[in-house]
Amino acid sequence: MKHLLANRKTIILPITLLALGALAVFSTHRPAVDFNTQVKPILNRSCISCHGGVKKQGGFSLLFREEAVAKLKSGHYGIVPGKPDQSEMIRRLRLTDPEERMPYQHEPLSKDEIATLTQWIRQGATWGVHWAYAPVQKVEVPNPTTSLLGLFSSGKKAWAKNDIDYFIAEKREEHKLEPSPEADKATLLRRVSLDLTGLPPSPQLAQQFLQDNHEQAYERLVDALLASPAYGERWTAVWLDLARYADTKGYERDAGRSIWRYRDWLIKAFNEDKPYNQFLIEQLAGDLLPDATDEQFIATAFHRNTMTNDEGGTDNEEFRTAAVIDRVNTTWQSLLGTTFACVQCHSHPYDPFTHEEYYQFMAFFNDTRDEDTNADYPLLRHYSAEDSAKIKTVVHWLQQNNYSEKAKEISRFLKTWQPAINSIRADQFVNSELSDTKWLAFRNRASARLSQVDLEDADQLLVRYMSFAPGGVWTIRLDQPNGPVVKTISVPQTKGWQIQRIDIPAQKGTHDLYFAYINPTLKKPTDNGMLFDWFYFTKNFPGKEKAGYDSIRQTWWTLLTKDVPTTPIMVDNPSSLHRKTNVFVAGNWLVKGKEVEAGVPKSLNPFPSNAPKNRLGLAYWLTDKKNPLTARTMVNRLWEQLFGTGLVETLEDMGTKGAEPTHKELLDFLAWQFMYDFNWSVKKLLKEIVLSATYRQDSKVSKEALEKDATNKYFERGMRVRLSAEQVRDQALAASGVLSKKLYGPSNMPWQPEGIWMSPWNGEYWKRSEGEEQYRRALYTYWKRTAPYPSMITFDAVGREVCVSRRIRTNTPLQALVTLNDSAYLDLSRKLAYRMQQEAKTGDVKTAISKGYELLLFRPINAAKLAALQMLYTAAYSKFKSDPVKTCEMIGVNDSHNNPETAALVVTANALLNLDEVITKN
Amino acid sequence: MTQKEIHNQRLVKEAEEAMIRMHTRRHFLKECAMGFGGLALGSLLQSCSLGAGKPAAVDFDPAHPLAPKLPMFPGKAKSVIYLHMAGAPSQLEMFDYKPELMKLDGQDCPPSLLEGKRFAFIRGVPKMLGPQAKFAQYGQSGAWVSEHLPHFSKIVDEISFLKACSSDQFNHAPAQLLMQTGGARLGRPSIGSWVTYGLGTENQNLPGFVVLTSGGKFPDAGKSVWGSGFLPSVYQGVQCRSEGDPVLFIKDPAGMDRDLRKASIDAINKVNEEEYKEYNDPEILSRISQYEMAYKMQIAAPEVMNINNEPQYIHDLYGTKPGKAALANNILLARKLVEKGVRFVQIFDWGWDSHGTDASLAIDIGFINKCREVDRAMTALILDLKQRGLLEETLVVWGGEFGRTPMMENREGKQNPFKGRDHHVEAFTMWMAGGGIRKGVTYGETDEIGYSAISGKVTPHDIQATLLNQLGFDHEKFTYQYQGRPFRLTDVSGKVIEEIIT
Repeated sequence: MKHLLANRKTIILPITLLALGALAVFSTHRPAVDFNTQVKPILNRSCISCHGGVKKQGGFSLLFREEAVAKLKSGHYGIVPGKPDQSEMIRRLRLTDPEERMPYQHEPLSKDEIATLTQWIRQGATWGVHWAYAPVQKVEVPNPTTSLLGLFSSGKKAWAKNDIDYFIAEKREEHKLEPSPEADKATLLRRVSLDLTGLPPSPQLAQQFLQDNHEQAYERLVDALLASPAYGERWTAVWLDLARYADTKGYERDAGRSIWRYRDWLIKAFNEDKPYNQFLIEQLAGDLLPDATDEQFIATAFHRNTMTNDEGGTDNEEFRTAAVIDRVNTTWQSLLGTTFACVQCHSHPYDPFTHEEYYQFMAFFNDTRDEDTNADYPLLRHYSAEDSAKIKTVVHWLQQNNYSEKAKEISRFLKTWQPAINSIRADQFVNSELSDTKWLAFRNRASARLSQVDLEDADQLLVRYMSFAPGGVWTIRLDQPNGPVVKTISVPQTKGWQIQRIDIPAQKGTHDLYFAYINPTLKKPTDNGMLFDWFYFTKNFPGKEKAGYDSIRQTWWTLLTKDVPTTPIMVDNPSSLHRKTNVFVAGNWLVKGKEVEAGVPKSLNPFPSNAPKNRLGLAYWLTDKKNPLTARTMVNRLWEQLFGTGLVETLEDMGTKGAEPTHKELLDFLAWQFMYDFNWSVKKLLKEIVLSATYRQDSKVSKEALEKDATNKYFERGMRVRLSAEQVRDQALAASGVLSKKLYGPSNMPWQPEGIWMSPWNGEYWKRSEGEEQYRRALYTYWKRTAPYPSMITFDAVGREVCVSRRIRTNTPLQALVTLNDSAYLDLSRKLAYRMQQEAKTGDVKTAISKGYELLLFRPINAAKLAALQMLYTAAYSKFKSDPVKTCEMIGVNDSHNNPETAALVVTANALLNLDEVITKN
Repeated sequence: MTQKEIHNQRLVKEAEEAMIRMHTRRHFLKECAMGFGGLALGSLLQSCSLGAGKPAAVDFDPAHPLAPKLPMFPGKAKSVIYLHMAGAPSQLEMFDYKPELMKLDGQDCPPSLLEGKRFAFIRGVPKMLGPQAKFAQYGQSGAWVSEHLPHFSKIVDEISFLKACSSDQFNHAPAQLLMQTGGARLGRPSIGSWVTYGLGTENQNLPGFVVLTSGGKFPDAGKSVWGSGFLPSVYQGVQCRSEGDPVLFIKDPAGMDRDLRKASIDAINKVNEEEYKEYNDPEILSRISQYEMAYKMQIAAPEVMNINNEPQYIHDLYGTKPGKAALANNILLARKLVEKGVRFVQIFDWGWDSHGTDASLAIDIGFINKCREVDRAMTALILDLKQRGLLEETLVVWGGEFGRTPMMENREGKQNPFKGRDHHVEAFTMWMAGGGIRKGVTYGETDEIGYSAISGKVTPHDIQATLLNQLGFDHEKFTYQYQGRPFRLTDVSGKVIEEIIT
């Protein structure tokens, strides 16, 4: 290397002169080199893997401008803005010696590429902002009358239904493609209904639309669908993947978790068209809103869908940390369309986010009360209406007696049991331990410590515990194992968990508490005497001298100790339990680096100046109209749901390594419209899109179009998309006439084969739901993370262990086996057949088959298809006619349907449910 | 031509033939004797890029996600049978002979072994526990094997033992995930998913990645250990079962015989052809072929999953009990499946978590029964593959997710009711055989009480790297783009264990 460098001048000078000469001639004529489209692709492909966020070979990084123009290890400068001849980067790109030439050990850059980089440095080496990180600007609609293709303009104008179409037409014309005509009414009806409500239209709505010849007919249909309660269910199903919603906690034991009220919240939010910014604020920080309602607390379950590890011997802090990291990654991936997970271990290799910024962002989520406890604390306690009224009475009494502050604290504690100290925070165990790593447990002559407890003004301890034997004595000492005794408590045997209130002498300040426990009645030295869940040091219920004290206090206590249903929620730590955040060196949570304060990446919009530096402020930052990512991400997601592919294909990554947007201007136009014109209304945005001519196009494709645009990137036709796992089930339920209209409630367990659930150390089992519950929409199906509902997984549903923001659609024989053979689908085939008979009225097979086809596709069946299905019917009929046993098996029960005609129709109905056009949105 | 070249040529030829099978409509029709119109399927379904020797491993075609593909380089192994003993068997009673430990039996564990260490259940100062089995050396290689494995001791010269395996996860679920997916958290694809993603399926009538479980429970990490993580879900393992339907939903409903099913698929596809005439979308043709495959899979899967027709000497060899979800049955099925062209068979057997908390989990009671169950069957597998000429192209991997402590477990500081050992990550034994693995090798060594590795230490990532290498993949280059970066099975580490490959 050294001797090569010594020769540098003699080799380089002529080339540099040549280059300079060339530049002198061209630089004045050449347009400015664009960083994003011309430079960044070269850097990302050829340079950044060694000179970027992960590695900085030779001290050179091309991630940020300030790094790129800094002095290198060698003392040279990689880039000297305005002076390519002095830039080491350009010199090294041009060498021929493989030891020195860059990219090292890879193909050299082409002359054109080197010229581009040279020109860029000459022009000052300005760093462009990647499109997705620049604020959304208002975009002008391409003017339909001044199109270059003047000939088409009148046609285009006639074709276009709204602004979207002008953007689409412009790109399409560039590629010399013709638009497709509007799909026939029946196809459009089914398409838009499945898209907006996840269900085929009801027969009434279908009939209404098909007979409505008014110009506004389609818009009326769209309005009716948007107003249907099924709309909220459909979009909730989408959101559940982002929220990684499941009915179990995950990991080894994967025990149940009651968090379905969050799903109900989503359904309501979508149905009432809660503005998207408010929708996000409540999910991220509903608990921090002033006078937060129960509903706003439930919304925060969004980030309590992280997994909890109940396996014995696991480190709770490790899994608490894993949950916090999951919250950061999910927030970025699902709400901001950015892959932030990379930054956990090192600065982003391609995008402008640093390692430290990851942990600054994590600090927003790192100060919450959840600690991987078995109970999933903190929980919102759901009281009956009657009990809720009692809470109001208690609060009212306190307010009337001038205890307004205490009223807030008491009401908060009744609702959440927070801020209690979980017993898993104990340490210094002697004859004690964290039993199964979940609860502090004492044997005879046990001691343990609870460190740094805020006792300011506390004169009462509320403790949740369980005692296995009578005769125990529990002593609490201050500051040292033999420090002053605060309290000695005799502990009787309990029936299960119990909350007790214990008066203690009033305390000041923060102290370590030392617990000791003696119980000579325990037979063996290894017997556990008692188990603790949590401790809460507080002030006594006030107002002893006031009228009504006794009864109010009794009401309070009854409510506090009542066994009620719960939902995991977010609650911030009180200042006494504040948790610091450090950088994890190389992403390892055990190696803590520098301490950081909460903050957002510098390369995006600034944190709103008036916003608090907590999750609520973060939510305001995220929903600030200046945030470049939030609206774009949602617009892209909605587009993907309707068209099968996003305007940026990689929904999870709009960064420089994500897919290029096919219609960036349209994405920005819609993002602007979404925020400014529609005021974050998802319904308005969806309506705008489905009203476009682009959306309404026929999905038939010509050979020519298939060759020119195989994937329909330029929307020359409507999209054909296979139905989602949920839609496959829901459609079958609807068509066979058994779909339950019931909204909300706990998850249900429809038919599932035996032997799907076999978690170790977990006695829970699949208990098939009865009656109407059996026929509820797929989004209500109980979701067990380690053993999800098999037929939905086969149709590409995701496991919901972590956030997956895009399902990859596949096409496999196993999907065919589900709809052909799954007993759930056989059951629906029977129901569909009965309905076909009923609708046909006459008993004529042709009519029945035609009716079945229409129930699913809303258009008449053609002769060839009818013939094929009729042939199947005939074959089946002749079989069943001679075989009453098989007939009865096909019907399942010996009832009025037990005849060869019906059995043959069941087989035919089953075939209908398997047609490609049925499981596809045409 | 050398053996290797012949082998490589065969691999290429097989992949090509499979492609032809998939793409040639006529062949298809002849094979399943179903009459559909003569559609130009071949010309329309040309999206699978199988150029001459071009590694197609990273191509993903959603319409044909399971089309056979070539590996990056010709691998020694065509298929893998991975026997995972869930719960983690004790190396100290099977393969890692430690006479010194016997001398320490019943003594307090020295503090040096406890300082700075974390255990799942051991608290305070546990006692040391000597080996609960007698050992002897076997074969020309002189491998040590315990008395619990009388059959296996006869075939040690076929095996490469890895005596110094290690993990960094001491709980079952994360450790199983690390072993099977390369990461301790949920969400990453399993080895079998990677392999199916890279190689597709040889036999289109069977799933490419089959999972068989026994022991009454799933592995602790649930189905995630055969999940597809961020890979498309088509690559997840398909659980085949010895009770109930061998593959979920494979059986026609009661009342429907094969003829009627054929008539029904005929009708479905006829209507689909009509739809294709209208829409011209090649995806419809793909659907047609998936229904044809489903029909064939309905015959092929139950056939291969039925062990009743195996000759008596095979049942004697394996110790199989037809009709039970037993480990021996699953091991025999694994052989049948790879014989039929299944790429990856993953066996999980639950019940190896010998803590000593009850008799079935006692190291001197339940553990011996588990050994007896696996001993005969895993020995039979090696012998049977060998006699069929399949051993050289089938990689067999055996192991748990970690090992067990040389100390007796004292859960929560108390004496357990039975003799048991706690989870131990620093040293345990795994073995591999066939598929280009050296014979009669013992690699790696632990200290005199089997507590930690002193040489030849290997990690789960090393084992995964070796496995992929045997199939023809460079584990550092075999990647999938997700969340903006290329992910690989071995994360950021892993080294092929050169010492045990030919």
